[in-house]
Amino acid sequence: MESLQGLAIGFKEIFSMYNMLVIFAGSMIGTVVGALPGLGPSAGIALMLPLTFSMPVNSALCLLVGVYMGTMYGGRITSILINTPGDAPAIMTAIDGYPLMIQGKGGLALGISAFSSFAGGFFGLLVLVFGAPVVTRIAVNFGPHEYFMLMVMGLCTISLLAGKSILKAIFMSLFGFLIGMIGSDYVSGFVRFAFTPELIEGVDFVAIIIGLYGIGEVLINIEKSVRLDLGKPAFKIKEFIPTKKDIAATSMPTLRGSVIGTLIGILPGAGGTIATFLSYAVEKKISKHPEKFGNGALEGVAAPEGANNASVPGALIPLVTLGIPGSGGTAIMLGALIMYGLRPGPLLMVESGNIVWAMIAGLIIANIMLLFSNILLIPVFINIIRLVQKYLSPIVAALCVLGAYSLNYGLFNVWVILVFGIIGYFMKKLQYPSGPLILSVVLAPLTENYFRQSLMISHGNYGAFFARPVSLGIFIVIVGAVAASIISKLMKKSKKQALAK
Amino acid sequence: MKKTIMVLLIVSLFILAVGCSKENQAPEQPKTTFPERPLEFVACYAPGGGHDVMLRTMAKILADEGIVDTAINVVNKPGGSGAVGMGYVNGHAGDGHYLMATTSSFITTPLNSDIGINYKDFTPIARLGIDPELVLVNSKSGYQTLDDILKSDKPINVGGTGQGTIEHLVTVRLSKLSGKKLNFIPYQGDGEVIAALMGNQIDMTITNPNTAYDYIKSGDFRALAISTTERIDLMADVPTFRELGYDITLSLFRGVAAPKDIPEEAKAYYVDIIKKMVETETWKKDYLEKNMITPGYLEGEEYAKYLDEMNQIYEETLRELGIIK
Repeated sequence: MESLQGLAIGFKEIFSMYNMLVIFAGSMIGTVVGALPGLGPSAGIALMLPLTFSMPVNSALCLLVGVYMGTMYGGRITSILINTPGDAPAIMTAIDGYPLMIQGKGGLALGISAFSSFAGGFFGLLVLVFGAPVVTRIAVNFGPHEYFMLMVMGLCTISLLAGKSILKAIFMSLFGFLIGMIGSDYVSGFVRFAFTPELIEGVDFVAIIIGLYGIGEVLINIEKSVRLDLGKPAFKIKEFIPTKKDIAATSMPTLRGSVIGTLIGILPGAGGTIATFLSYAVEKKISKHPEKFGNGALEGVAAPEGANNASVPGALIPLVTLGIPGSGGTAIMLGALIMYGLRPGPLLMVESGNIVWAMIAGLIIANIMLLFSNILLIPVFINIIRLVQKYLSPIVAALCVLGAYSLNYGLFNVWVILVFGIIGYFMKKLQYPSGPLILSVVLAPLTENYFRQSLMISHGNYGAFFARPVSLGIFIVIVGAVAASIISKLMKKSKKQALAK
Repeated sequence: MKKTIMVLLIVSLFILAVGCSKENQAPEQPKTTFPERPLEFVACYAPGGGHDVMLRTMAKILADEGIVDTAINVVNKPGGSGAVGMGYVNGHAGDGHYLMATTSSFITTPLNSDIGINYKDFTPIARLGIDPELVLVNSKSGYQTLDDILKSDKPINVGGTGQGTIEHLVTVRLSKLSGKKLNFIPYQGDGEVIAALMGNQIDMTITNPNTAYDYIKSGDFRALAISTTERIDLMADVPTFRELGYDITLSLFRGVAAPKDIPEEAKAYYVDIIKKMVETETWKKDYLEKNMITPGYLEGEEYAKYLDEMNQIYEETLRELGIIK
């Protein structure tokens, strides 16, 4: 009840025409920023930050959360339309979203993903409003041992993203590990393979995805022009709103994605990107028709979108209850709160409760506005692509260069996307899957660091991984999942042999 | 034909992007009055970070108090643990219109990696304050004093941000002076360390008052020692390391530096405006108090000497730890 009272105060605080406009503007800016390759939540919030200094605190926070949520909606747009993820949490959306686009179902993919995004955000908000203090106290009990096991679980999903050849998938994962090694390693303090100062913090992961997907796709398109099946020009909203049947079919995947997204979002050591990987893997694993994944499965779009939007309120939970940021976006929010004169920490809710509730209320309004605006905008997006299809490649290339430049406001990442664009081109030609590469670039450094932290904490004792209940629990799930998939494969084989006889 | 045009278009885009590089700017003409054009304050970290907060507060106070009437732009050059920003400012050697925020990464990044420049390639302007280090434990642990930890039979895990950081240096010194083996666990960022102490993943941590204050106030954590020479007002009941018999006075510093070889006029200008700034009430209130920075103003040569000392301490410890050869 206390939560509802707080929420009511929050709504009262921000209920004005000005604030509604601010939230709407923030959401729209966020959508655009999220859609641009390379500009994600962190960049969006950072760009808006200086603008907010002259605003009242409540309005400033409404603007920032609007942008934050907006980027999560926006990321999916370019993933689906041009196979170039707008930001990291939207990578998984491209895998099934773009095939749908090629099949002429781009509008449907955008519609379904908008609904999933809304549902995910809504679910995360429920947890934020009603369970925040409790869940944080649980989340801090996740130590390096538990995080390590979680990362191992993430790495196991490589096999699900492998495509036809498992050998090629392993090769790509190892290549990803190699890239992940570059840069300064905070556990040992050494700097590895940094030939130029820009590499001290490693190769920027977002530059890698812009190169592989964006530039790689452009290069392929030069060789053989892909004509998207866009059908006749249509402006009827009706055609873009998913039918009840479609929504019903994707409701369970969305819910599962939302739960995974919220849980992973709360953990300060993981993030929205990992949540999307896991939720995609879960859907493919339990699906009755896993062969559809990668060729335009609606579940493959719905689940990761639910997960990445749920991770936004999820990541805000440790921020408002403990002052611990759970993601890159919330890390900048933390800086913003300090600049507004608030003190993020265990006392934030006690000392500035009204402002926090106003921020949460702003997020709820932003989520509703984003659902409607994103549905209404689908025909615009589709028709823009239809208009510019002839010149799509140069436009994508320009957006990619712009995005790469904006990562650090320097040219270094422009070269990085060029190199990875060429790598991406050959990977596509020779049918090497990109999923395992991306996954290991993200997870390898985390896995390594958590592994070493674990051993340092337990003084070199490997038994600690199995002595801690949560870590052991995750381990059992991993072993169970691997065993189940081996057994089912063996059974299928013997069935086939039996049939052959 | 169409394909050729498209290839050309894409190639020309890349060429255009490369051509936009700032390196091609013509060198500045020597002028008599400084500043000639807007000043640029360079933060080596992203918006919202320590550098950024300091420079934006400075820019605001300098303008609001009427100390500077030239426009000041705060720009962020994040990347490479400060190396990208250092490289950027060094690229404007001789031009006094650039001022960069400096913290310990100003010294440690050049030591840890081969970036071709170090703190000596800049003109030190002033140290604005110091961020002391605190020993912090979870209130639910039995440790009431620093000696409770140092005399404990259990192995002690100490969390801190990264290997070779000031927190690590304090841990190494404390271990050496007390003879108790302290097991340092590097984490990425203050947030992770706080979460680890909250969840009892580690026994203690070394961190700054600003990070720790609210957790102490809320009763979650207890502070056992501080690295200043005298107790600070904010936490008057926390003893200094010296009082407890351990000679440790290492603190993080916050300061500003300009590119090398800037005109004497520009140097004198900065020293003058910053001296005026640190004396204002708003600086004390909006920066020092708000971010819990301990005052510690040093200018010009004194700051240069301090940097030399810090460099020596870091270099020795990093060598002992085997991080640099």
